[in-house]
Amino acid sequence: MIHSFTDLLAGASLTTLPQQLASGILLGAIYALIALGYTMVYGVLKLINFAHGEVYMLGAYTALFVTWALGFTPNAPNPPEARVWMLLIMLLASMTVCAIVGILIERFAYRPLRNQPRIASLITAIGLSLLLQYGGQLVLPVSPPPSIDSKVNPFSDNVKFVLKQGDSALLTQAAGFQPKVDQAQAAFDAQLKSEKSQFDLSPRGEELKKALEDVKREQKVVTDSANASKVEITLPKGQLIMLGMVVALMAALTYLVMFTKRGRAMRAVSLDFNASSLMGINVDSIVTFTFIVGSSLAGAGAMMTATFLPGTQINTYFGVLPGTKAFVAAVLGGIGNIPGAVLGGMLMGIAEVIVIWLGYDAYKDALAFVVLIAVLIFRPGGLLGSAKVEKV
Amino acid sequence: MSLLSLDKATIQFGGLIAVNQVSFSLDKGDIFGLIGPNGAGKTTCFNLITGIYEPTGGSVTFDGKVIAKAGKSAGPESIAKMGICRTFQNIRLYGSLSAIENVMVGGFLRHRTGLFSALFDLKRAADETVELREAGMKLLQAVGLDDVADVRSRDLPYGSQRRLEIARAMATQPKLLLLDEPAAGMNPQEKMDLMEVVRSIRDQFGMTVLLIEHDMRFVMGLCEKIFVLDHGEEIAFGLPEEVRANPKVIAAYLGEAH
Amino acid sequence: MDSVALRRLGFRLLWIALGVAFAFLVQWVALSSGQFNSNGQRLFFLAGLYVTLAVSLNLINGITGQFSMGHAAFYQVGAYTTGVLAAKFYSDGAGLASKYPLPWLIGMMFAGGLVAALAGFIVGLPSLRLKGDYLAIVTLGFGEIIRIIVQNQKSLGGSYGMDVKPKIDFIWLSTLLAIATIAISRNLLKNVHGLAFLAVREDEVASSAMGVRVTRIKIAAFLLGSALAGAAGALLAHHETFISKDTFPMDLSFIIVTMVVLGGTGSITGSTLAAITLYLIPERMRDLKDVPVSYAALGVIMLIVTVAFVRRTMEKDFSKLRTVKLVAPWFVSIVVVAVGGAALKNVGPLSKVIDGQQLRFVIFALTLITLMLLRPQGIFAHHEFSLQWLKKVLARFTKRSGEVAS
Repeated sequence: MIHSFTDLLAGASLTTLPQQLASGILLGAIYALIALGYTMVYGVLKLINFAHGEVYMLGAYTALFVTWALGFTPNAPNPPEARVWMLLIMLLASMTVCAIVGILIERFAYRPLRNQPRIASLITAIGLSLLLQYGGQLVLPVSPPPSIDSKVNPFSDNVKFVLKQGDSALLTQAAGFQPKVDQAQAAFDAQLKSEKSQFDLSPRGEELKKALEDVKREQKVVTDSANASKVEITLPKGQLIMLGMVVALMAALTYLVMFTKRGRAMRAVSLDFNASSLMGINVDSIVTFTFIVGSSLAGAGAMMTATFLPGTQINTYFGVLPGTKAFVAAVLGGIGNIPGAVLGGMLMGIAEVIVIWLGYDAYKDALAFVVLIAVLIFRPGGLLGSAKVEKV
Repeated sequence: MSLLSLDKATIQFGGLIAVNQVSFSLDKGDIFGLIGPNGAGKTTCFNLITGIYEPTGGSVTFDGKVIAKAGKSAGPESIAKMGICRTFQNIRLYGSLSAIENVMVGGFLRHRTGLFSALFDLKRAADETVELREAGMKLLQAVGLDDVADVRSRDLPYGSQRRLEIARAMATQPKLLLLDEPAAGMNPQEKMDLMEVVRSIRDQFGMTVLLIEHDMRFVMGLCEKIFVLDHGEEIAFGLPEEVRANPKVIAAYLGEAH
Repeated sequence: MDSVALRRLGFRLLWIALGVAFAFLVQWVALSSGQFNSNGQRLFFLAGLYVTLAVSLNLINGITGQFSMGHAAFYQVGAYTTGVLAAKFYSDGAGLASKYPLPWLIGMMFAGGLVAALAGFIVGLPSLRLKGDYLAIVTLGFGEIIRIIVQNQKSLGGSYGMDVKPKIDFIWLSTLLAIATIAISRNLLKNVHGLAFLAVREDEVASSAMGVRVTRIKIAAFLLGSALAGAAGALLAHHETFISKDTFPMDLSFIIVTMVVLGGTGSITGSTLAAITLYLIPERMRDLKDVPVSYAALGVIMLIVTVAFVRRTMEKDFSKLRTVKLVAPWFVSIVVVAVGGAALKNVGPLSKVIDGQQLRFVIFALTLITLMLLRPQGIFAHHEFSLQWLKKVLARFTKRSGEVAS
């Protein structure tokens, strides 16, 4: 998923910045969605669920399998026409499967260790993460890495937002070059017929070829400056829908956590696990519920990235990098803090895109950790969290 | 001469003034009581003296040296080395270390051999370890725990843990020993024993003791001078019988209506 | 020198001699068992390095309680330091490295250790402010940063990797490094200084109130642990002759942490045994050929059933049969898998085969989870393996079954 974003970015020119920021927000929205899972689980269990990235990976596979079941198998001669209800089925399937995986992980890997030192759960989480990565290779299609057929997505056309019109004089000038180029091309083509071969031109041929190249170069210079004078954001419609979905899911989550009984219980458990159980809250069911919510959000994120970012390849390590970055996002915002995860995710997405925009692609994965370390050292509780002071 | 003196020491947490312009001084060799209702700022005073908190105003002088003044403190490690050591209100022993090992950690701050000699198990490190163990055993004897020296401190009964904390603090060879509610959770017999222990520490080792305690019988029976705090402010100071009769103290403990 | 000091010196020399002798014994075994198989020799060599890594991390994680998850980075720093120096001094087989391989390699261990210690110092700084999970995350992040920086440096071979010449291959040196690491840890714990390290792990506030220099101790632990890992990296570089980003994957740090936790946090013997076991499990399975699905599927099912049953027994069953119920299910499962797997080998989809190479990491992960579920405090918990400890455990064991019987 990362690469499809980087492809959009070329050259650190200021006029491309809005386009980059838009990509950053999209990327950040997905990070935020995954980060919510980390932050909620940490909130109630004080456990870093290292297997969360793998839940995300399974969500992408589920979406893939649904598309296959719907007839979009690789190399299918006549796939059915894309429909919105298909996307809905994929989304629901991914969320459901991830929720089930989340429940199983909690029930069989974390719950038995709840009264043990937290490090034990942490190691189990690492073990699970490795198990899903390597075990997945045995049972899931990995080679060649499959990807969801782009024909599934009915929203592949682009939407263009013009922030600033280009310099009209330059644009006309650029457009004015086309006849000249055509003319030179035609002259050269005509000459080519009487030449022995393309690589062994007569002086006349050489002259025409040079003239063609010159006019083409000139056209490029003018076109580039014309393009640089306008500020536009081009986004596939699908990615806009994705952003809308993320916002909707977050709104639903906010309602769930802030205004329902279960949400209140969840907040209580995250404040004090033992006291909540003494107050008659069924903490087991709240923990399960937390895993359901967190994992299904990851599932939704996975389905949307795999579908709406064309060419996204799925393998069993699909969740490792997004998972790590989302985790950093959760810490950045203040782990255990739900708005913090969203803020952290957005900041991470934007920061990553800016680093690429500045030309340091190679360091975009290190960025996550630099941000993380800086935050933890200078503001250990994260941006929206508060660090606990130990009472002596 | 005074060993420790607080001069208008103040600690403010945000809007809350936990300790407000408190001044007192301790003479060498005294057993000194610090009392007051819950939330009066007693433990905060301890944290101030031992360098865990910095004062926001005033100063603390120990043995002729200023160890803390507004916004600055020598820090717990240096203060311990200068000769102030403490116990904690909620016991903070090293749970998985044995009793003797806990005491040896206390004695470690005066170590002479470097890390290098320990890593290569040189004779001087080994000798020092033996010395500290022997000194620790003596202290365990003084608090009556020598028979459980090798038991993990987490597994000791509560009263023994409190006494072990005292032994560990004494192992740092302090000039001033701060005890934070040493008798909390003890039965009357244990309290009587503890009084004896504290007295003998003072007599045997010549230490000055400052203690926080809620049990009035314990405080009145043990302390030579008592200092009373309420809402972070000094309300009384003097001999036990003077303090007991002070109407302000009675009001602070029992309410104004009395 | 008095007689006590002389005896002490004698014992010390004896121990050193035994250590060296053991190291050469390992080399001899490795060479004779792996005569025609360089993989076998590599096994012994790497086992030494893994023990070094686990025991040195145990210094930071287990003994000082600073949860560090970036240990592979120090290993990597040591290896790359050696790589750079070797490239400078090798010069087509005429340089220092090829003329005097042993002194060179020992020098490299110090150089690698030194640079790694520098990295350790930097990584250790946050431990002055952070604790627990947060420190774990930051150290993990530092480890990743070092990895990414290294793989983006053209001078270090970038993402392709770099050659380290010549090949210097002393199996005994790796064993000796492991022994030295163990000895250093043990010496520390034997002396009162070690208690100060443990005190920092147990309670920082109390420690500083007791005058223990918490900051210094934490930094010392990081310096020491990372230096030893760096020395291991130096050995690795000259043994492998080629190092790249894939030599030090992110999982490596996790695996080292797992070794420490699985052995029992703080236990030197635990870390050592866990390092050898966890290293050997996937390595030994390199020979694993194709496995029919019937075995794998049955294996997973029986594992789940057995773990569930054994956990239940551990929690609820204190009857006379407890021991039997804890041990027997494993044998039953093995038999079921062996017999059932053979019986179902030719049935429909179960007859497909799985590549053994893919299976070995799955088995590794399953072992990890199983061990954690059954013994979360680690194999040795806080204890060290000694005859005394063994006696105590056995005594408790027999006493318990005796009580139940009466």
